Amino acid sequence: MDKTQELIDAVIKGEEDKIKLIIMENLSAGTPAKEIMDQGLIAGMNIVGEKMESEEMFIPEVLMSAKAMSSGVELLKPHLTEDEASASGKMVIGTVQGDLHDIGKNLVKMLMEGAGFTVFDLGTDVSPEAFVEAIKKNDADILGMSALLTTTMPKMEETIKAISEAGLRDKIKILIGGAPVTDEFSDKIGADGYGPDAGSAVRIAKNFAPDYS
Amino acid sequence: MAKICSNQQALNSPYARKLTERQCEKLYWACLEILERTGVHLYEQEAVDLLKKAGAHVTDGNRVRIPSGLVEKALTTVPKTVTLCDQNGNRVIHGGGHQSYFGTGSDCLNIRDHRTGERRLAVLKDIQEGMILCDALENIDFVMCMFLPSDVHQEVLDRYEMEAMLNYTNKPVIYVTTEFSGCVDAIKMAEIVAGGEESLVTHPFAGCYINVTTGLRHNQEALQKLLFLSGKGLPFTYIPSAQGGVTAPITIAGTMAMNNAGALTGLVISQLKREGAPFIMPGWGGNMLDMRTTIQPYADPEKRGQAIDFAHFLGIPTFALAGCSESKLVDEQAAAEAAMTLFTDAIFGGNFVHDVGYLESGLCGSLPQLVICNEILSWIEAFMKGVEISDETLCLDLIDEVGPDGQFLDCQHTLENFRDRWYPNLFERSNFDGWQSKGGKSLGERANENVNQILEDHKPEPLPKDVAKAVHDIVEQAENTR
Repeated sequence: MDKTQELIDAVIKGEEDKIKLIIMENLSAGTPAKEIMDQGLIAGMNIVGEKMESEEMFIPEVLMSAKAMSSGVELLKPHLTEDEASASGKMVIGTVQGDLHDIGKNLVKMLMEGAGFTVFDLGTDVSPEAFVEAIKKNDADILGMSALLTTTMPKMEETIKAISEAGLRDKIKILIGGAPVTDEFSDKIGADGYGPDAGSAVRIAKNFAPDYS
Repeated sequence: MAKICSNQQALNSPYARKLTERQCEKLYWACLEILERTGVHLYEQEAVDLLKKAGAHVTDGNRVRIPSGLVEKALTTVPKTVTLCDQNGNRVIHGGGHQSYFGTGSDCLNIRDHRTGERRLAVLKDIQEGMILCDALENIDFVMCMFLPSDVHQEVLDRYEMEAMLNYTNKPVIYVTTEFSGCVDAIKMAEIVAGGEESLVTHPFAGCYINVTTGLRHNQEALQKLLFLSGKGLPFTYIPSAQGGVTAPITIAGTMAMNNAGALTGLVISQLKREGAPFIMPGWGGNMLDMRTTIQPYADPEKRGQAIDFAHFLGIPTFALAGCSESKLVDEQAAAEAAMTLFTDAIFGGNFVHDVGYLESGLCGSLPQLVICNEILSWIEAFMKGVEISDETLCLDLIDEVGPDGQFLDCQHTLENFRDRWYPNLFERSNFDGWQSKGGKSLGERANENVNQILEDHKPEPLPKDVAKAVHDIVEQAENTR
């Protein structure tokens, strides 16, 4: 692959046009799409993730990188096999029933997309049944649930129960977040992980996805 | 450099005042009355002679009663701003009006050592490290030497202080000397760095902090320094130090009347020596002796504000005092007093605000405390900015484009403008988990680390070798004639 470092830098700087150009050049030269994806785009976003956690990069910059990365992925998709395209994993995300707060959830969604995940966003005030339905329909690997209110936190537990009852619990990893959520709460309700901020949510999700390169 | 200015007309930034014009006038008339009726004792013959020649009434050899007209005249010739350059000759400080600049204090006997946590006598190395730190801190605009070096000959310690301020920072300097000869040597050193006598006058980077015994009793060294520097047209402060309840009435107004009568005395002498000589007056008013402990409180709320109002009324730049604390430790009291005093001096518009980083009412200094003050100043700078309400900043098109259900996080506009908002450096905003993952440290611990980091990383621009040697020769000469 040519211009690997340039592609990584373009992802970090969120330079969409430059990313597209380098990808096209590489595709024309016969570089496998998977290689461009892994060595360029995902490698770049990994650095972005690190820079966000060390507070060198701020959210709008990270989102700009994520957006630019997504446009690169779109360009690569026709050249990837179906397995390769969904290698990172598929996530269903939503704010639980009774809760309308979505800033954190939206942020996680954008960052997950930036990290190469396919995200199905159910929005806010999502019932346990709707979560179950979406997991089935999209064959999701990860579920992300958000709640800001202490009063809506019990809905997370209800949703997990509904997933178990539908026989889906073994095939999905459940990640929860929101200001009142803690590690202890996550353990108590039987979730698989808790992210105190959007950046760590992505990091934990990557650990869930075995194929993530 | 912090760009802090209260009462910015164009932007309606915040400002405060305590005294009305009428109150300032009454205080001014009181000063004039003291000078005509009670008079002052001047312990330097040249000053007595200058005043006598100008029409003052002299009795008992040095008791001088000054007619109001001389003060009125001096007020018409004194400059309304004092410019200080950095040591490269860039005009960085325009002290006057409501424009505020911040700097350290001088001569703390002790240091709260950030490496050991111990309180000990300060040494020359502490001044050098302090200057490196000041050089790096963006909101410290000028330096004073911070510490009193216990490890050099005490008769000539002011030469070592001046040398350290020239060697370890490029920022403007306010120096303090014990005797008159130290002041002459400080100017010699400054002239060497500036590149000659004339260059220092056209590009002044060093001002002298002159303390006067009280408003009505002017010691010889203070008057000698005043006459010498006025003669050269170089900047200095003239700060009578009467304490309420001891050498002045306990009331704020009484102490201010006495001290400002003294400041005006200095003003008249400076303008008689040389019309247009720069002059800086006190920016705090109503010093007191704490009658419980006998310390002189620095962070005293009652002495803040009114002296700045009075100087604005007279149109003379102020030497103010803030970022200081009575606390013995870099603790909650130190942070609170530093923040409140810096905030009040900024919002009143004091000009040369010194003593930033002082603990123990001026007896102890701390590098982490200075770093914390630098962060507080960053906060204040952000607060003091006016708010722009314009078509551009209202973003009505963007609001309409995004609509009620959209969000702005990934808008190009957000990306282009989010850095214009203020972000702390030392103050911690992470959520609990984020803070914990960074070690769960207190402000004091983070400030300590910041000091170590700066001392390791920051390399001030050194003086050219021959210049540094010529400066050091002045120190050696003083040592040899000691």
